[in-house]
Amino acid sequence: MNARFSYAWGALLSLTLLGGCQSTSSAIDSAAAHPKLESLQALSKKPPVTRTLDIQSWKTAEGARVMFVEANELPMYDLRLTFAAGSSQDGNTPGIATMTNGMLNEGIAGMDTTAIAIGFENLGANFSNGAYRDMAVASLRTLSDPAKSGPALDLFTRVVGQPTFPAAPLERIRNQLLTAIEYKKQDPGAQAGDALMKQLYGNHPYAHPSTGTVESLKSITPAHLRAFHQRAYAAGNVVIALTGNLTRPQAEAIAAKVSKSLPKGPALPSVAKPLPPKAGITHIEFPSQQTHLILAEQGIDRRDPDYAALYLGNQILGGGGFGTRLMTEVREKRGLTYGVYSGFTPMQVAGPFTISLQTRAEMSQNTLGLVQDIIRQYLKEGPTQKELDDAKREVSGSFPLSTASNSAIVAQLGMIGFYDLPLNFLDTFMKQTQTVTADQVREAMAKHLDPEAFVIVTAGPTVAQQPLPAPVERGNTPPPGVPEH
Amino acid sequence: MTVFSRRTTGLLFSLLCAPLTVLAAETQPTHEYTLDNGLKVIVREDHRAPIVVSQLWYKIGSSYETPGSTGLSHALEHMMFKGSSKMGPGEASLVLRDLGATENAFTTDDYTAYYQVLAKDRLPVALELEADRMATLRLPADEFSREIEVIKEERRLRTDDQPMGLAYERFSAAAYPASGYRTPTIGWPADLKRMNIDDLRHWYQSWYAPNNATLVVVGDVTGEDVKQMAQKYFGQIPKRDLPPAKRPLELPTPGERRLTLPVRTQIPTLMMGFNVPGFASADNQRDVHALRLISALLDGGYSARLSTQLEREQELVTGASASYEPYTRGDSLFMLSAMPNLQKGKTLADVESGLWKQLDALKRTPPSTAELERVRAQVIANLVYERDSITAQASSIGQLESIGVSWHEMDNELADLQSVTPADLQRAARTYFTRDRLTVANVIPETQTQQEARP
Repeated sequence: MNARFSYAWGALLSLTLLGGCQSTSSAIDSAAAHPKLESLQALSKKPPVTRTLDIQSWKTAEGARVMFVEANELPMYDLRLTFAAGSSQDGNTPGIATMTNGMLNEGIAGMDTTAIAIGFENLGANFSNGAYRDMAVASLRTLSDPAKSGPALDLFTRVVGQPTFPAAPLERIRNQLLTAIEYKKQDPGAQAGDALMKQLYGNHPYAHPSTGTVESLKSITPAHLRAFHQRAYAAGNVVIALTGNLTRPQAEAIAAKVSKSLPKGPALPSVAKPLPPKAGITHIEFPSQQTHLILAEQGIDRRDPDYAALYLGNQILGGGGFGTRLMTEVREKRGLTYGVYSGFTPMQVAGPFTISLQTRAEMSQNTLGLVQDIIRQYLKEGPTQKELDDAKREVSGSFPLSTASNSAIVAQLGMIGFYDLPLNFLDTFMKQTQTVTADQVREAMAKHLDPEAFVIVTAGPTVAQQPLPAPVERGNTPPPGVPEH
Repeated sequence: MTVFSRRTTGLLFSLLCAPLTVLAAETQPTHEYTLDNGLKVIVREDHRAPIVVSQLWYKIGSSYETPGSTGLSHALEHMMFKGSSKMGPGEASLVLRDLGATENAFTTDDYTAYYQVLAKDRLPVALELEADRMATLRLPADEFSREIEVIKEERRLRTDDQPMGLAYERFSAAAYPASGYRTPTIGWPADLKRMNIDDLRHWYQSWYAPNNATLVVVGDVTGEDVKQMAQKYFGQIPKRDLPPAKRPLELPTPGERRLTLPVRTQIPTLMMGFNVPGFASADNQRDVHALRLISALLDGGYSARLSTQLEREQELVTGASASYEPYTRGDSLFMLSAMPNLQKGKTLADVESGLWKQLDALKRTPPSTAELERVRAQVIANLVYERDSITAQASSIGQLESIGVSWHEMDNELADLQSVTPADLQRAARTYFTRDRLTVANVIPETQTQQEARP
């Protein structure tokens, strides 16, 4: 299906950051700006009602952190295990985290891949897994009827806790990862993304792609996987998030069973902080019609006190869809791109801040210049009061969406638990966004981002460059910077 | 149906929504009414969280378009954000963003839909905005001149620079010799170049009428509240005569078509598609249910036949999929695709023969009871899982209504699937998996010469 816009990677992640709470926004309302909309005039000026989450948390006997929200409306539950077992723990074997995670459901004592798959599917249960830079995840979604959930949980705990890493499936998974690496070569966006992380992080463990490298993947043996699993899938290294049709005692029993099934051991040490990168442009020659552009700097870790101010600051620059400075200038006024997005990806240690877009190759250099000008001006001047007020209303208004489904709740729980955030993190974050001033946003953005220090990667063909079309100003839209009241 | 809109087999069953008391979850009240101007309104109550999704579905998409005028439906979707009587260009998006709403739109070959997810007290704003652009879209020429450039960028991003996207576009053009499903939703490049604002004005005038639309609202609302709101904002929009809409029907047996598609890829892929009926066009709907079941047997999970046999046992492929979209206005395709396992020296010819063996086995031998029970268990569970998402619920309703099928059909699906007999499966396999219904594409890495010759 073709849509008017689609989110770039990372945008969805940042959406899940939002949580629910009542805010006391003092932002001016937008009704006056749109007098023709009758429904807007009638709308209450209060922030919307949000589902209240009663997050319960405890530790299992083996040291696993548990996060639980009871949600009895549907006869199902979601269980999500988040291990500090992403590719930043690969060490000298890039790809081992991904391969270990991918091998969990490929063999346990007495059951091969197909038997495991049949086991889950006969019960209507969904097993899913994935490895990223900070984390590796294993999830179970099951009906809460004990006749289904009991055997599903039994199988799940064996798959995650006691995988056997048999040799034949290992060859198949290795082959698939090698194919995935080969497949990426046809995708200029993926090429640019990998090169960007390499330039931005140098020798740091965030630098290499989670899929690993061809040489490294070829060297991995079942013994490597067993050793990695023993260390990284230990009970002290996991957060157990649970939501659904469960009582507290039921949740405790499930968490205890999961925890007991895992290898014994402590949390892994956090990865080191990255060294600052060298600014500059890297070009990848690629025979595509468009040139992909990514601009990045090292951003923040998940516990950074400036996060709320930076979140708002980015929403105004290029976060989400329409109405941001980047989308307005590059797409709306000039028709240069289908989408341009910016975002912080806060991680265990400084995750990237990225701006990404694609444009026809003959416009790429001047479009890059345009984007750099927009950033320079924004970092110098900061947001206008109107931009800030709008962004505060947006954040407050979208809060109820962030906890509306079990899948959203379990993702929030996993995130809060994994980054060891306080249980009231969502409330606190929301309050901070509503009280931050324009000066604070400007200062925070300028503190973390230097307009002259961007690491830039372009991927596309070398062609003669064209001048940009003149921007079109829309007469009926108030220019930015003019407050309404 | 573009490759983007195609649901995978696993998700296919998420469309089912039969009320099953055995599931111990109360079925949500669902209300349906039609305004005097023909706008159909369907409301499903889901009171788990204080939010709501509003989707407005128009029965118009690329399969309605004629040669030379492809891409109109999708371009019009883009222009729906460029102002109406109460809003300037881009202004509605800013209003919704200010309210914390998530909004977007999408176009496929059968329908165009606009949606907002937002806090429940804000629903009237979403409805007022939708009603305004249904009735009074401005379609300014200067906005179009930039937006068509954005659309060309979208085409480069999703099709021209995506080898598999490009290959599927060419494949569809061959697989649908007679029906409008051959038309890519984004439009052919030559047609994007010559499209003008008058084409879009005409398209809008022809199809954007209340009697050609379905409003679906799911969330923390009541049927009566939404009825009053819908009446208030949409009730005054006049009904209009619509152009005749013909179902996209295919030749039943067009003859075998073989394509070689060199694209900028490192990895070859085989695509096979059989011309088959869809739910709305089938003479015998047991065939449709049988094809759905076959798709689930082949690719309904990691334990299904393609994964188990072709990927793991035979090591013939590194990945394979089967898919069948029954919810189309017209005749559909049963698709298979797979990548040969190059490490084991397998070729596209090996893959094609391996896939045929799977199809021949279906013609010869009925599936085991255990296999069928597994499919059924997944269907039943997915009925519950789908209800975790108000958007998924609304989309299932809107999609069915937009292809001319009542949303009540969802309630019958489990029973329909259970009614399929082994004989039905064999008959469907024998009827539809024949060479004269087949399109095969060998998608292969292009040579250096081909790469240099490409404009």
